[in-house]
Amino acid sequence: MAKMTLNLVVWRQADANAAGRMVEYVVRDASPDMSFLEMLDVLNEDLIKRGEEPIAFDSDCREGICGSCGVVIDGVPHGPEPGTTVCQLHLRHFRDGETVAVEPWRAASFPVQKDLVVDRSALDRIMAAGGYVSFNAGGAPDGNAVPISKSKADAAFDVAACIGCGACVAACKNASAALFTAAKISHLALLPQGAAEREQRVLRMVAQHDKEGFGACSNEGECQAVCPKEISIAAIARMHREVMHATVCSR
Amino acid sequence: MSFPKNLTSVGKKILMGLTGLALIGFLCAHLAGNLLVFIGPGTFNEYSHKLTANPLIYVAELGLLAIFLGHLATGIALTLRNRAARPTPYHVKRSAGHTTRKSLASATMIVSGAIVLVFVPLHLWTFKFGKSYGAEGGVRDLYRLVMEVFSSPGYVLWYLVAMVFVGFHLWHGFSSAFQSLGAEHPRWDPLLRSFGWFLSVLIAGGFIAVPVVIFFAGGKL
Ligand code: HEM
Ligand code: FES
Repeated sequence: MAKMTLNLVVWRQADANAAGRMVEYVVRDASPDMSFLEMLDVLNEDLIKRGEEPIAFDSDCREGICGSCGVVIDGVPHGPEPGTTVCQLHLRHFRDGETVAVEPWRAASFPVQKDLVVDRSALDRIMAAGGYVSFNAGGAPDGNAVPISKSKADAAFDVAACIGCGACVAACKNASAALFTAAKISHLALLPQGAAEREQRVLRMVAQHDKEGFGACSNEGECQAVCPKEISIAAIARMHREVMHATVCSR
Repeated sequence: MSFPKNLTSVGKKILMGLTGLALIGFLCAHLAGNLLVFIGPGTFNEYSHKLTANPLIYVAELGLLAIFLGHLATGIALTLRNRAARPTPYHVKRSAGHTTRKSLASATMIVSGAIVLVFVPLHLWTFKFGKSYGAEGGVRDLYRLVMEVFSSPGYVLWYLVAMVFVGFHLWHGFSSAFQSLGAEHPRWDPLLRSFGWFLSVLIAGGFIAVPVVIFFAGGKL
């Protein structure tokens, strides 16, 4: 297998309070079959051997399902491949000798902790504001005891696929978390289990979204283009319908 | 001033969508009136007379002003807040392509809006509060004023540029307003967006046609 060279320009920032800057690195002998993060691992091994500080970045499952990873590659969150997290992005999608800029998610609500690591707890607080259902979990219910139409179950599943990586915020020119918030609201709004808290959920989650300092949605759809789960901005339209419903119906 | 700040981000967008669509409705009616100029001075002047002589016009004008100011204030509030949400820019940033709807039009809504904001008072100054020629039957000869104004190349050019920006605003704005109002359906969405593009070209083109035709006809039809 042919080896490839990548010229990286990576955001380095010592800690949350330090000023950061873009630093150039050359990665030689990378395999096209490596993921982007594996390539960063190789670079980090090299940096450690040279006595330098390795590049900090988040990752966990490395199979595109946990939502830990995420960096902006050449101006696109999670890089050039649609529907792909950066841990599942392979170097075969890059050219040998290519120069690639690597930056953290940038948003006032996502402060950089170190290098490519940002604090995404703002998304957790939006969830805590209403992204749950409250019930007394007794014995296991019978399967299919609660009827749900196939189309609704499918639609709920599509938005439930959100892994909370924050790429939508990173891509949005307004650093809006509308797609994330809308996906979580839609997921529960579509299912009967979510009905009891339907109105208070949407109002609380939207209020928390704003309190965290995220921007508003300008309906540009950059978020759906970078979402590794390809969640559509139709979810945002649903969130708006839920807000209208809750505003009129809640008391 | 608590309005529009006390609205949530979603509330602001719903207001943007409502006021935006109302303004589009106004533009359509305004355009239909303008095109009467091609029928002749009699029809055009009679239309403008009937419109302004009706006392309900003051109610309509007040409503329109409120809608315009509401859209304006909310648009500015949104833009300021949205900019504050990303204080540190990316070194490299580009559109993701794929399923994005980003366009030059969507990225410059505040710019096209600002052009409209400059245009509207000047436009009112020129026509609504402009010279009042008399015509037969005590009717204002607005037709004559229109012919006069659109004989000036400078004014025609400025009018044309402003209308191109209006078209730009609506290129993104029309379908965006529906999305803000929660109307999104995979079956109808492509049709809605195509119709929005068609309508923005139609509106801009219609408004542009009047001064351009009059100018090249030498200030008379
Ligand atoms: C005839 C006049 C106007 C019409 C027909 C119009 C129409 C629209 C429509 C339909 C939208 C889409 C609303 C949405 O996304 O929900 C919009 C958005 C917008 N308009 Fe206007 N508009 C007009 C004047 C103005 C003016 C004077 C401003 C001045 C600042 C302005 C600023 C904006 C901004 C900033 C947005 C985008 C808001 C966002 O990013 O979410 N508009 N407009
Ligand atoms: S590391 Fe889990 S999604 Fe990438």
